[in-house]
Amino acid sequence: MKKLFLPFLATLFFVSESLFVDLWPKNEWYQHYLFAPRFLLIFIIFITVYVAQTYGMVYGFILGMLYDVVYTEILGVYMFSFTLIAYMMAKVMKMFHNHLFVTCFLSMIAVSVLEGYVYGIQLLIGKTDMPLNQFYSYRLLPTLLVNALFLLFFSYPLKQQLLKIERYEREE
Amino acid sequence: MPQFFLNKRLILLLVSIIFLVALIGFSLKDRKELTWSEQFLKDTTGFVQFLFHKPAQLVAGFFENVQDMKNTYKENKLLKARLEEYVMLEAEVQTLKKENEELRAILNKKESLRDFISIQATVIGRNPDRWQETVIVNKGEQQGVKKDMAVITPAGLIGKIQLASQFTSTVQLLSAIDQQNRISAYVQGKEENVFGLIEGYDRKREALLLKQIPFDAKIEKKQLVLTSGLGGVFPKGLLIGEVEEVVPDEYGLTKMAYVKPAANFYDVDDVIIVKRKIDVQEEGETK
Repeated sequence: MKKLFLPFLATLFFVSESLFVDLWPKNEWYQHYLFAPRFLLIFIIFITVYVAQTYGMVYGFILGMLYDVVYTEILGVYMFSFTLIAYMMAKVMKMFHNHLFVTCFLSMIAVSVLEGYVYGIQLLIGKTDMPLNQFYSYRLLPTLLVNALFLLFFSYPLKQQLLKIERYEREE
Repeated sequence: MPQFFLNKRLILLLVSIIFLVALIGFSLKDRKELTWSEQFLKDTTGFVQFLFHKPAQLVAGFFENVQDMKNTYKENKLLKARLEEYVMLEAEVQTLKKENEELRAILNKKESLRDFISIQATVIGRNPDRWQETVIVNKGEQQGVKKDMAVITPAGLIGKIQLASQFTSTVQLLSAIDQQNRISAYVQGKEENVFGLIEGYDRKREALLLKQIPFDAKIEKKQLVLTSGLGGVFPKGLLIGEVEEVVPDEYGLTKMAYVKPAANFYDVDDVIIVKRKIDVQEEGETK
C-alpha cells in the first residue's frame, strides 16, 4: 500500500490543477488575470529535493508527457521542461543548505522560469500575441501570487509526507 | 574524465531539444485526429478526472445554490412578470412552426440546416496553463462527436470541438486565438440579414469580432448575431451574441462589429455538442 502512495499523490496533483481553475469562481479577477496553478511543478521539485533526483526526473517526464497530451495538445513542451527543471534543481540544491524555505524560494524561481519558457514557445509558434509587459503584469505576477499562497499552506505537510516516503524507500 | 561526462550530458540535452522541436512541429500540423496512444492516455486520465471532478463540482454547486437563495425572491417576482409574455410567445412559435412545416411539405423540402441532434456532455477538466482556453468534456467519438462540431450552452454558442478521442474530447472556446477559428455568421436584421465572419476575440473589450461585413450594410446595436450554417459543420441559427458597436475595418473597405457573446465562456459545467442532421443523412446515403 505504501508503495502506491507516491503515484497516488502524483495523480492528485495532476488533477488538482485542472480542478483549481475549474472551480475557481469565474469573476472579473479570473477573466482579467491569467494566473496558472503550477502545483505539479512544485510537487516534482519537492520529490527531487526530498525523495531522490531520479524519482524527480522520472515523475517529471511522465507527468509532463501526460500534461502535454491531456491539457495542451502541443507535445513535448512540459515533458522537456519538467525533466530539465528537476535535474537543474537537484544540481542547485547541492550548493544550498537544505531548508524548507530555500526549497520554496527555488520553486518560485522555477515557476517563473517555466512561465517565461512557455510564453516564449507560445510566441514562437504564434499561439499568442501578448506583449512582454502584459505578460509580466497579467500573467507572471498573479501566477507567482497563487503559487506562493499554495506553498505557504501546503509546503510543510507535503515535505513531511515525502520524507516519510523517502524513509520507507531507504528501508527497502 | 569529468569533461567527458559533461559532453555526454550536453549531447543528451541537444538531442532532446531536437526531439522537442520535432514533437512541437508534429503537434502543430493540422491534425484530423489524435494518434491512438494519445487517445488512450486521454481517455484513461479522463476517467480519473471524472472521478475527481464530479464530487468537487457537486460541493461547489451546493455553495453556489446557497448564494442563489439570497436572490430568489427578487428573481421570482421578475420571472412571474415575464411568464405571461412567455405564454404569448409560445403560442406564436407553435403556429409559426406549424406553418413552416406545412410550407416545407408543399415545397417537398425535408431537410434544413437548422435541424440538429444534440449530445449532452459534462466538463471534466480545464486547461490549467491557460494559454489556450480549452475544456475537456466526457463524450467522444464513441458517442458520435467529431472534430469541428459546434458546442453550445443553453445561453448560446461557446466553441467547437478541437479534437475528439474515443471517450473524451477537447472543446476550443471562441475566445481562443486561432487564425483558423472562423465562423460564418449573420446579423438578424428587420428586412434582410447581413452576413459576416466571426474572426478573433478582443480580450480587453471581451467581445468577438464580426468581420467582412459589406460597407453599405445597415447594422444597429442590440441586433442578434447567429450562425449561418454556411461554412463547415455548424447548424444554422445558433445564437452567438448581440452587436455592441460597428466600426470601419482597418482598410476601410468593409465594416467590423464588436459582438458581445451571449454565453459566458468561462463559467461552463454542462455543454451540448451539436451535430447537424443534414450531415447525418448524407452519411447514411453514401453508405
